[in-house]
Amino acid sequence: MNKNILTLAILYPLLILGQALICNHIMLFNVATPFLFIYFIVRYPIGASRNLELTLAFLLGLAVDIFSDTPGVNALSCTLLAGIKPTVFYAYVTRDDKTKHITPSISSIGWQNYCKYLVTLATIFCLIEFTIEYFSFTAFRDVLFMTLGSTAITFLVVIGLDSLLPASKTTMA
Amino acid sequence: MRNLLNFIIRYSTWFVFTFYVLLSCILLSQHDEYHASVVLSSANSLTGGVYRAASGVTGYFNLRDINRSLQESNASLENEILNLRNEIADYKSIVNDKDSTTAPEVAEIARFDYILASVINNSTRHPRNYFTINRGTLDGIKRGMGVVDHNGIVGIVNVAGPHTARVISILNETQHFSVKLKDTPYVGSLSWHGGDPTIAYMEEVPRHAKYRIGDTIVTSGYSTTFPYGINVGTVMNRVKMTDDNFYILKIRLSSDFNTLSTVRVLKDSYKAELDSLATFDIKADE
Repeated sequence: MNKNILTLAILYPLLILGQALICNHIMLFNVATPFLFIYFIVRYPIGASRNLELTLAFLLGLAVDIFSDTPGVNALSCTLLAGIKPTVFYAYVTRDDKTKHITPSISSIGWQNYCKYLVTLATIFCLIEFTIEYFSFTAFRDVLFMTLGSTAITFLVVIGLDSLLPASKTTMA
Repeated sequence: MRNLLNFIIRYSTWFVFTFYVLLSCILLSQHDEYHASVVLSSANSLTGGVYRAASGVTGYFNLRDINRSLQESNASLENEILNLRNEIADYKSIVNDKDSTTAPEVAEIARFDYILASVINNSTRHPRNYFTINRGTLDGIKRGMGVVDHNGIVGIVNVAGPHTARVISILNETQHFSVKLKDTPYVGSLSWHGGDPTIAYMEEVPRHAKYRIGDTIVTSGYSTTFPYGINVGTVMNRVKMTDDNFYILKIRLSSDFNTLSTVRVLKDSYKAELDSLATFDIKADE
């Protein structure tokens, strides 16, 4: 658990920079942008301080907003994502003493559950993000395609980052 | 009191959540192009510093494309200079007047000076795109100045910090530019509708205006931001009419926003004079 928190603390500024300097400049086929920084929210331990998680999520979004000149868009998306995260997690994982304090990862909840959890979170994030940014019904088709494309590429980069970082065997607090 | 405290502690997550959602909504609603603050934009010193450092590395990318484009632009400028020289020589021989070179057009061009700047951050994927340049108020940059690159216009300075400035790109749905069909009196408004960063639209073109595919669109010169005649793009085709009296032209932009690197910020030496005239007018009305 402590090792996970340390990894996340080091990753926090790196994710902001990675998003601002690399991912923000990627737009595959005019629809797919990777949102690497949601990795922090995805991997933030379940059962750890919720207030801290919401605060860090908000600040994470705000930092990316300042870099991308989109004040409020990412801040709101990240806060909403952090708010809905436990509900999404327990939709795929049974709620019991074992899963009360757990860091969502492949090794802790298994491949299938982790993929379902990640895809759901990425879809929710992209949908909120693009709906806020393109705030009009006329852009509905664009929002849909961008959500699909960006969810797919976000899923890939998050799984990629997962495979790069040392796997955590610790599942319990 | 104790019950109230217990209640707040028990539901603190909900309070924190609501607080951040409201704060984000305030940020979203206050995102006004005109009153944008330096702190919350990419022109602040921290983000500016990060982008400057990163552009030290990425500035070398795309140099091959930029070089080719510069050479093409150079060739066409040389051509134009030759033509102008010939034209001036012709006029001189006809009028036989030594002052004939100080035509109004020459005076108009000399009115604008420029500050060279490098683009250190750029985006094309949002509906409201901005880019950041490595020059700020200390270099003489002010809000409202026009920005061009060697291909044509690219934007208007929106927020200026001491060392960096944020520019509203043409690729911003909220920004409109006054443009003209070259060598005709027909003026329209250039706007970008999102999506493809190479395509924009010239709106409010009068119904009787004549044009051909490939015709050049230039700045109208009706503001202190851009002089007349800076390239904007070329006409691709006409889009369905939305009004009986006007139509919309689809324009291929001449600037390539994916390889934006060195730009010039235009300084109008008449700006203060024109602004003071505008305020004089208001005072006179009062």
